[in-house]
Amino acid sequence: MAYKSNVYFRRAEREDLDTVVAWLDDPDFLHFLYGDPTRSPKQIRENIVSMLGRTVGQTLPGAIYLIIESPNDGPIGLLSLQNISWRNRSCSVDLYMGNKKYRVGLTAGLAWMRAIEYCFDELNLHRVSAYVYSFNTASWRICERSGAVRELTLREHVARDGKLYDMYCYAWLREDFDRLRESMKDQLPGKSLADMIAAWEKSAASPTEANP
Amino acid sequence: MITGEYSIIRTAESDDAFEMGRLYDPAYPRACLLDRKRELLVPTMDELRELLARKDKLAGQLQVIEDRAGNARGFCALRAAETELNYAEMVLMLFEESSYQSPLADEVFEYFSRVAFVHRKHNKLMAQCLDGESAYRAFLLGKEFRSDGVQREAFFSSGRWHNLESLTRFRNQE
Repeated sequence: MAYKSNVYFRRAEREDLDTVVAWLDDPDFLHFLYGDPTRSPKQIRENIVSMLGRTVGQTLPGAIYLIIESPNDGPIGLLSLQNISWRNRSCSVDLYMGNKKYRVGLTAGLAWMRAIEYCFDELNLHRVSAYVYSFNTASWRICERSGAVRELTLREHVARDGKLYDMYCYAWLREDFDRLRESMKDQLPGKSLADMIAAWEKSAASPTEANP
Repeated sequence: MITGEYSIIRTAESDDAFEMGRLYDPAYPRACLLDRKRELLVPTMDELRELLARKDKLAGQLQVIEDRAGNARGFCALRAAETELNYAEMVLMLFEESSYQSPLADEVFEYFSRVAFVHRKHNKLMAQCLDGESAYRAFLLGKEFRSDGVQREAFFSSGRWHNLESLTRFRNQE
């Protein structure tokens, strides 16, 4: 399997900004965005663009923002790891699929898996959490299917369109993720980050054998 | 200054830095003192003085609880969340665990309950406690707070993980 045969993460380039800014104009983006909806589009745009400009090159970054890339369609979403605590070895994850084509199906699930895998296998974290609105059913179902535990139900916590909705906090401890990885081993062969890197190294060593 | 039958609640000032410093006991971590990353950063006395001398909204929220004899018994605050969220977080930190079962604590809660639900018309009051804060948790449950759940191993201190529980009390429970 070629390294780029599936969804992967990379740091944002200057050329990504137009794509990201277009996602910000999507009403869905504001609907699912955590925080005060009275912020102006300009404020939100400046905020996101400045976030993407921050580097993950520091040894102990407090936050990491990455572009989710598909080899066929280029940038398809955003991943943010926030409140990274190197003492507690924890962070919170937000994942937004800007390209609507990828919101259904396996890609969004794989993107989540890859994000969690990155947190545990590369950043060596102990706990990863995600806050999801109750009306964002697709997201919290992915969390549940990927082995997260719903730890908090914050009742009537967020207002949208004049109604109050619950908010859930899901979390993975390393042991939760290890259990999931073990159970998925046979179902998704070659889909782990380690498998992909191994495939990439193999294809780099002998380019003629690389898969398309 | 709010003078009750058992307590006096007043805005904290830089002179209260020493008393405030008593709350930062690594052997008895408090959820209220954790930052956004759930880390406990123990400030120096100078930093505490500086914090308490600030006249902005953040510093203005922090209040000292005294008994009627003028002895500091703890600190409290009502941290309002963003407008959209329509809730406030209650912070009540008493020096002595036994004080949570006293009329002084009841009186302070009555005051906060009135401010949050009647004056500010918040929908709910939230509070958090670590697994070691059993007296505070019992106090909150006694005030009809209900658990929203427990965040497992959210905070590391003194060589072990601590769970963090969130509790809520709604206005319509009044």
